[in-house]
Amino acid sequence: MTSLLQIENVSVHFPTRGSLLRPGPVLRAVDNVSLNLSRGETLAIVGESGSGKSTLGYAVAGLRAPTSGSIQVNAQRRHRDGRHPVQIIFQDPFSALDPRMTVEDIVGEPLRLSDTPVARRQRRERVADVLEQVGMPADAANRYPHQFSGGQRQRIAIARALIGDPELIVADEPLSALDVSIQSKILNLMDEIREKHGLSYFFISHDFGVVRHLADRVAVLYLGNIMEVASADDIFSTPSHPYTRALFEAVPRIGRGRRKRGTLLKGEIPTPLDPPSGCVFHTRCPRATAICTTTRPALESAAGRPGHLAACHHKD
Amino acid sequence: MTDAIDIRYERAPLPPAQSIWRLRYEKFRSHRVATYSLLCLALLILVCLSAWPLGQMLDIDPNKTNLLARFRPPSAQHWLGTDDLGRDVLLRLLYGGQVSIAVGVLATGLMSIVGIAIGVSAGFLGGRVDSVLMRITDVLIALPLIPLLIVLGSIDLTKLGLSASAANSPLFIFLRIVIIIALVDWTTMARIARAGTIQMRSRDYVRAATVSGAGRIYNVFIHVLPNISTPLIVAATLTVGRVILLESTLSFLGFGIVPPTPTWGNMLTNAQQLIISAPHLAIYPGILIFVTVMAVNFVGDGVRYAFDPRAENEGGSQ
Amino acid sequence: MLRYSLSRLSQAVLVIAIMSFMLFAVIGLMPGDPLENMFEGNPSLTPELMAQMRELYGVDQPITTRYWNWLTAALQGDLGYSSLYFRPVLDVLVPAMFQTAKLLVLTLMVSVPLAMILGTLASRKPNGMIDTLVGLFSFAAISLPNFWVSLLLIILFSVKLGILPASGSPMSDDAGFWIHVRHLVLPVGVLAMFHVGPLIRYVRAAMIETLSADFVRTARAKGLNERTVIVRHALRNALIPMVTVLALSFGHLFSGALVIETIFGMLGMGKLIYDAISNVDFNLALVGLLMATIVVLVANLLADLAYAVLDPRITL
Repeated sequence: MTSLLQIENVSVHFPTRGSLLRPGPVLRAVDNVSLNLSRGETLAIVGESGSGKSTLGYAVAGLRAPTSGSIQVNAQRRHRDGRHPVQIIFQDPFSALDPRMTVEDIVGEPLRLSDTPVARRQRRERVADVLEQVGMPADAANRYPHQFSGGQRQRIAIARALIGDPELIVADEPLSALDVSIQSKILNLMDEIREKHGLSYFFISHDFGVVRHLADRVAVLYLGNIMEVASADDIFSTPSHPYTRALFEAVPRIGRGRRKRGTLLKGEIPTPLDPPSGCVFHTRCPRATAICTTTRPALESAAGRPGHLAACHHKD
Repeated sequence: MTDAIDIRYERAPLPPAQSIWRLRYEKFRSHRVATYSLLCLALLILVCLSAWPLGQMLDIDPNKTNLLARFRPPSAQHWLGTDDLGRDVLLRLLYGGQVSIAVGVLATGLMSIVGIAIGVSAGFLGGRVDSVLMRITDVLIALPLIPLLIVLGSIDLTKLGLSASAANSPLFIFLRIVIIIALVDWTTMARIARAGTIQMRSRDYVRAATVSGAGRIYNVFIHVLPNISTPLIVAATLTVGRVILLESTLSFLGFGIVPPTPTWGNMLTNAQQLIISAPHLAIYPGILIFVTVMAVNFVGDGVRYAFDPRAENEGGSQ
Repeated sequence: MLRYSLSRLSQAVLVIAIMSFMLFAVIGLMPGDPLENMFEGNPSLTPELMAQMRELYGVDQPITTRYWNWLTAALQGDLGYSSLYFRPVLDVLVPAMFQTAKLLVLTLMVSVPLAMILGTLASRKPNGMIDTLVGLFSFAAISLPNFWVSLLLIILFSVKLGILPASGSPMSDDAGFWIHVRHLVLPVGVLAMFHVGPLIRYVRAAMIETLSADFVRTARAKGLNERTVIVRHALRNALIPMVTVLALSFGHLFSGALVIETIFGMLGMGKLIYDAISNVDFNLALVGLLMATIVVLVANLLADLAYAVLDPRITL
């Protein structure tokens, strides 16, 4: 069986502004990333801000053309009746909805934009249907976004993503702008519609609690490079890469007292304009040795742990 | 593992749907000076439009010169007297008002189209297109408009292949002034449109539409333009006043609308020579220009106040 | 800083080159023919001689050739003759530039301090009595047609009261200082009114913003008296961007100068340009407009550089 999403050797580079004669340095937002996503699976992409995870998500959603490599979505349901196999949910629910449109126009927009137009009456019915599914009252359709709270807006954004009957939803930190009490409700909603619609999520997050709850597999991104990919259970119990380990250590947990010393990340994330040589993590890595500064480690499975890939010369 | 969604919470009563236009209308009404100015403008336009019936009623032709009836004082037929060529002052003022206001509105409309097209293209396309267009805007915004307009106003259209009779027809002279003002004064509109477009084009709702297959044209017309309309409408309103001033200045200098078509500006051209013999002829057109431009500017201020969500405690002071 | 200045300078040179071509093209579209205008009414001019002259001056050449001929001559210092004054264009324009410079400098000496005083007064109590009056004044100043105000003032002060002359410059050049001053009162007054309206609104807005800034609050909290706070701290900071605003208003000011000079019969740049275009004096119109353009662009360039020097936040 082919996987739903195949990302092969994808790089996204941005040229930066230089002077008239000399072009600026290239920003390597995503660098040679390969990932697979099976049908019905949720893949979480975690990493610090600036790791390129949003850029990768935009590339998957088709918002950003990869500089090299290929992204393939093997949609099963045919692209008709206003179907859009890939949809996206954003972080900021206040910027995600056009303030000049009614909720009905916002949610129905994918149908309006499809190659086979959907009649207005049918559109209205489908809008009402998805609004119901995301827990919004039917009379929300004639209102404007500013009349809703952040959580309600995120539900509307989910309804818009859902109406085209997608197979893959790219979710770009959909919870981090919400209040904690709302977060769990939206998380449950996303969980529920995933099962109901047989959806896959390409879930970008930096919240490990959320990732642990929702994700089947986790990929760790650092400076546009994949550091580690493994099933969620595996990676949380026994992370292999020193960077992943450091990330988990950095999460404050109640009742643990002082953190262990030495494993915490030191320094800032280096600029993607001029990434370090060899292993991009070596400048901050507690285990770095001479080889790390010269040779980039391949993403391979650790000894005795098939399916648990890590890009490190000194992985566990 | 999935909890039931707490639907009850989300079904808390929604606030009543209130149209944003209704809110704006009420806010504009609360800006008293702007409201009076709008009424004043409406009245002025009505009075100017009554020029034709009034001329019929009093049996006067506003363009007919009568050297035997120069500088007549106000009378039953000539309510404001006659000018240096014996023409009725009141009728010429009213017809002149039609022309001045029409130039103001039409030139503003045309320059809005030009400016918005340039600004939106610069903002949406970015890169080299943006920097070239914005350099042009920067230069044009700095240049002195009146000398440029005088040169453009003096162009001999027959050299561009137009027949002499067409080039000198009143309609062409009228259109020419509308076009040249729009050609040199679109810069403010372009800047506002560009700034708004850059802000809007990276909004997530534009991205969401793109994911669903929306193209640039769709995004510009459906998402960008409606969301940048507020500053554009405000700027356009204020522009009408500026254009009326520009037109009157040009016509005063002899490079705008030329007689026999009257405008408030060209009615003042001769006034300079008549300062000693008939100073009152210099008063009326100027007052009308001033009142119109002032009223338009106050309306613009009111529109700004009504449309700006932040201006809760500002304006509307009088 | 040097690199920035050089790049801005080269840009300005390019713009001036383009402007000169465009002006050349547009002025060529003015009514009449430069040669006919030059020799108008000369009885010894036969059609054959005219044809020879056309050949000699290259009038029938394509515009790019004519422009190139003009440009090479101009760069060697030959800007042509004024058909209106029968003198080399520069001999006419240089004294006019001094005349206009005098008018503009005097105007700025009135309008800038006036705008600062009124704008600051208005900003101290937004929507207060003074603010309302100042706002009304600036609205009126923006809305008044300057040529009409000139006419009214001439009627009042020259015709009715007879206390000020109706012309902007005295008949004889050796008139005393006070006579010069009396002639300049009305033109400078009207031009300053024309210039001050937008400036007041700018100063007011900038001061309101600055007065609510943290460093001003700190200054107040330190117990400095209000005068010191406003003059030393707020006004100073509000005025840095004013350099740019003033430079941008320079073109506007020059437009006003053209009208004022024409009405008050002052032989400045503005009136020369006006006369040149009215009388179809091609050379004078072209060079006059070009010089006005260069002056305005140089003023803007200097303002940009001054801004970069004054504002420490901009690093180049």
